[in-house]
Amino acid sequence: MEPTIFERITIPVPKGLIYRRLGYREGVTGISSLQKRQIEKYIAQATTLINLKGTGLVIPIKKKNTGGITLFEGTILKSKSLALLFKNSNEVLLMAATCGIKIMDAIKRDSQGRDVTRAVVFDATASEMTDAALGWIMEYFNRELRRQDKCLTKRRFSAGYADFVLENQKLIYRLLDLKRMGIKITKSCILVPEKSVTAVAGIING
Amino acid sequence: MDRKKKILDILRKRPLILDGATGTELFRRGMPAGSCPEKWVLANPDAIKSVHRDYERAGSDIVYTCTFGANRIKLAQHGLSRVREVNRKIASLTRQAVNKKTMVCGDIGPSGRFIEPYGNLKFEDAVDLFKEQIRGLLSGGVDLFGIETMIDIQEARAALIAVKELTDKFVMVTMTYEKNGRTLNGTDPLSALITLQSLGADAVGCNCSSGPDDMLKIIRSIKPYARVPLVAKPNAGMPKLIQGKTVFDMGAEEFSRLCKGFILAGANMVGGCCGTSPEYIRQLKKRIGNSKPIMPLRKSISALSSASGTVLIEKNRGFVIIGERINPTGKKKMQEEIRKGDLSFVRELAGEQEAQGAHLLDVNVGVAGVNEKEAMVKAVNTLSSINPLPLVIDSSNPEVIALALRLNPGRSLINSISAEKNKIKRLLPLAEKYGAMFILLPLSDKGIPKASGARKKVIKEIFAQAEKFGFTKDDIIVDGLALSIASNMEYAQETLKTIEWCAKVFKCNTLVGLSNISFGMPNRKWINAVFLKLAREKGLNSAIADPESAKLADKPIVKKIIRERKNNVSAIFDYFLKASFKEKGKPLARGVPVEEKISRVVLEGGKEKVEGLIKEAIAKGRSPYQIIERTVVPAIVRAGELFDKRKYFLPQLIASAETVKRAFDFLEPYIKKDRSKRKQKAMILMATVKGDIHDIGKNIVVLILESNSFRVIDLGKDISPARIISAIKRFKPDIVGLSALMTTTMIKMPEVIGLARKEGLKCKFLVGGAVVNKNYAREIGAEYAHDAIEAVRLAGTLSKT
Repeated sequence: MEPTIFERITIPVPKGLIYRRLGYREGVTGISSLQKRQIEKYIAQATTLINLKGTGLVIPIKKKNTGGITLFEGTILKSKSLALLFKNSNEVLLMAATCGIKIMDAIKRDSQGRDVTRAVVFDATASEMTDAALGWIMEYFNRELRRQDKCLTKRRFSAGYADFVLENQKLIYRLLDLKRMGIKITKSCILVPEKSVTAVAGIING
Repeated sequence: MDRKKKILDILRKRPLILDGATGTELFRRGMPAGSCPEKWVLANPDAIKSVHRDYERAGSDIVYTCTFGANRIKLAQHGLSRVREVNRKIASLTRQAVNKKTMVCGDIGPSGRFIEPYGNLKFEDAVDLFKEQIRGLLSGGVDLFGIETMIDIQEARAALIAVKELTDKFVMVTMTYEKNGRTLNGTDPLSALITLQSLGADAVGCNCSSGPDDMLKIIRSIKPYARVPLVAKPNAGMPKLIQGKTVFDMGAEEFSRLCKGFILAGANMVGGCCGTSPEYIRQLKKRIGNSKPIMPLRKSISALSSASGTVLIEKNRGFVIIGERINPTGKKKMQEEIRKGDLSFVRELAGEQEAQGAHLLDVNVGVAGVNEKEAMVKAVNTLSSINPLPLVIDSSNPEVIALALRLNPGRSLINSISAEKNKIKRLLPLAEKYGAMFILLPLSDKGIPKASGARKKVIKEIFAQAEKFGFTKDDIIVDGLALSIASNMEYAQETLKTIEWCAKVFKCNTLVGLSNISFGMPNRKWINAVFLKLAREKGLNSAIADPESAKLADKPIVKKIIRERKNNVSAIFDYFLKASFKEKGKPLARGVPVEEKISRVVLEGGKEKVEGLIKEAIAKGRSPYQIIERTVVPAIVRAGELFDKRKYFLPQLIASAETVKRAFDFLEPYIKKDRSKRKQKAMILMATVKGDIHDIGKNIVVLILESNSFRVIDLGKDISPARIISAIKRFKPDIVGLSALMTTTMIKMPEVIGLARKEGLKCKFLVGGAVVNKNYAREIGAEYAHDAIEAVRLAGTLSKT
C-alpha cells in the first residue's frame, strides 16, 4: 500500500505549547506587553515560513514477541515495550511530519547571531507545530478507521522512546518513503530538516 | 413535480428527516471490521436493503446510498475498479429497497486523498473522479446528492462542482467539524457556508464528528447568514474509547431531545451519523417531524470567504480594507520572484498586510513574459492555504480570472467587471457559475466617464445585465473610480459624488482604489488618508489600500483640516500637498540616571536602544569599564537570576543576552585601547559533537557565556573528536563545552574526553543537550549543565578550581 501524503497540513498555532516549550510558566513568568507583542510577531513570522507536510501508512502486523513487532512486509520494529503497548493491535500506523526547509534556514541564520531571540521562538514554534502535525495525521486516520469500526491507540511512540531505539527511524524512513517528501536521514539516524518527526501508533478493532 | 421543487416545498412546511448510520447497522448485520462496505453490500444486498427499510419505517424521508467510499481511489484499495457500475448497482439496491415517496440520496464521501495544495491530487482530477461516481449514481436512479463528512473545503467544492456540471438535482454538502469548531483542515462553519452556498449547494450543514449539543452551536452560529436550508446529522454523542472499543454513549431518547434544538436553531434537514440507528431516527421523527421549520433568513449576502475566514461587507460591520500590495507593478523583487515561480515575497506581503489590518487580499500577478495563468494558480494555492483573508482576483485577462475562481477555496471577489463588451460577456457568467462577488467598474468601451452623472448611467447598465444572471446589489461593490488629482482636482469631487449616490440612492457597497488619487503627487500617504476620510463621510465602505496608510485617515490632523477648510476638497488637498510632515522620535525618559536606563534596557532586551544609551553615558563621563562592570554585567546576572526563578522565560533571557552582546560590541573599540583594565573570565571552547546537526542549544549557551564576559571559541556543529582535540591544543581553553541532542551522537562525548586524557590534556569538560543528564556526565568524567544559566554558573566555578 502507498503512504497517504499530506502536502500541506493546516493546524491552529499551538501557542500555549510554544510558550511552555520556551519556559513560560503561567502565574510565575512575567512578560511585558512589548515583549509579548514581539514574541507573537515572531510566532506569526514563523508560521509563514513553516510548511507542514506529512505522511501516514497503515501496515498489518505479522507477529509480536519480545523481539518487537514484525510488520506484514517483513520489517521488524525492534522494541519489547512497543510490542507490549500494541498487544491489542493487528495493524500499526506509521507516520511522519516535517516543517520544511525554509524555517530551518531562518533558524540557522538567526541563531548564528543575527537575531537569536527570534531563532529560539522560531525553533519552538517549528517543534510544536511539527508535533501537532502528527496529532493531525492521527486524527485524520482515526476518522477513516472509525468507519471501519477501528481506532488508533491514544498514544504514539517515536524512535528513541525507551527500548524503541533511534535506529528504528531508518526503517520508518524507508517504509514511508520520506525521501519523496524531501527529508534526508543521516548516519546517526537524524532527520533533515531537523524539525521532522516520525512515530508509530497501534490500530485496535472497535 | 421535479424532486428539487418537491424538496423545497416540503421544507417550507416541515423538516426533512434523513437516515442514521449505515456502517453501524451493517456491522450489526455481520459485516466484519475493516471490510469495504461497498464490496460487502454488493455481496449481501439484503443486508443493505433491510437497513434502508428500517430507516424508512422509522421515518426517514431521505435515505443515503451505501456509496460513501465508492470513488476510484477508495474502491481501488479494495480491488474494485468499475466505479460507475458499483455506484449504479448500489443506488439501484437503495431504490429497490424503499418506496417511491422516500427519496434516495447519492452519498459522496471524501476521496481519500488531499487536493493541491494540501495533497498531491490535482483539482481537476478530483472533479473527474467525483463525476465518475456521480454518473453511476445518476444511472442508479438517485433523487438528490449528499456530499458529506468533508474536512477539506476544496474537496467539498470539487465534488459540488462535479454535481453541478452534470445535473441540476438537489445537492446538500455537509462538513465535519472538530471540537475546536473547525474542520481538520481549519475551515470554520461560516466560511464553509458562504463558500458552498455561493457555489450552488442547495443545502449546507454538518455531519459526524460531534454530538448534537456541539453541532447545535454550529447551526445556531451560521443560521443568520444562510440563504439555503441547513442540514444537521450528528453522531450519537462523542466517540469514546472504552476497553479498546469505540463507544457512542448517547441514547436515542437523549439524542432526539437534543435534536429538537436543531429545529429551533434553524436546521431544516436532520438525521443521524455514527452510532445512531433506526430507533434514534424513530424518536427523532416523533419529536421533530411536524415542527415548523425556520426557512433561510436571507436571499443574498455581501460576504467573502477563504478556506478559514469570512468577511461580511455590511454597513454595521466596519470599514473593509483590501490589501493592495500583492501586485508586481513597480516592484522588481516581486516580478523577479514570480518569474522564478518563487512566492516567498508574496507570502510575506500577505502576512504583513494581515498583521496591519487588511481584511481582503488583492492578488495580481501579471508580469510581462510570465504565464499569468500558472502564476495565478500558484498564488491562489499558496495564499489560500497559509492566510485566512479572502482573495480578490485581480487580472485583466478573463481566462486567468476563470481559473482563479475555479481554484480559490472560498467566495472570491472579482476585480473587476466593467461595461466593456468583451469582458462583461465573459465575466458575468463566470461570476455566476462560481458564485463570486464582483467589483463593478463604471467604465465602458468609450473609456472612463469623468462626471459622476455618466458614471451612474454605466453603473445602472452593468447592474441591469448582472441582474439577468441572478445577481443582487449584495453581490457587487461599485468602484467610485478615483483618478489622480494631479491632472484635475475636480476628479476627486466627481468620485465623492458617485460614492454618495451609490451609498445613499442606489444603496450598494462602494470602494475606491485609494492610491490612484495621489498618483504623481507629493505627500501621497496624506493625500490618500484625507481622501479616504472624505469618502467615508459620503458612505464609502471599502478601499483597496495600503493598510498602513489607511490608518492615517483617523489622525486628528486629518479631521482638523477637513473641519477648518469646511469640506472644500481643493483647499483640503492644497494643505496636505504643501505641508511638511516629520516623524518624531519618542523622547527618552527624563530624570532617570543613565545607568538605570541601560540596566532596564538590558533586562527588557531592547538591543536597538542600548548603543544610544551607552553614548549618553560616555558623554556624561562614564568610562566603558564602569558601564560594563557596574551596569551591563549586573543586569545580565539579574536576568539570569530571573530566568532561574522562572520569572523570565527563554526569549527574555536571550533578548537580554543579545542586548549585552550589542553593548560589548559597541564598547569593544574603547576597551581595546586598554584591555588590561577589563576583568577577563575563563576561555571556553564549544562544539556540537560529530554526527549531530542540532546547534541552537549550543548557540544559546555561547551567547549567554559571552554576555557574561567569558571568552568563547565556537567550533560549530558536527565536529569530529580529532578537530576538537586539535582546537584544545591550539587554544588551550580552561573548559570545553560539548553538546549532543541524540542518543546516537552523545556517544561521541566520551570519545572526545578519552582522547583528550590520552593526549594528556587537562582541560575540564562541561556537557549538555536533550539526551544528556547528570549521571551520564559523571560516568564520562564531565560536569553537566541543564541550561545556559547553569552553564555560566558552572563555567565560573570550574575556571576557579
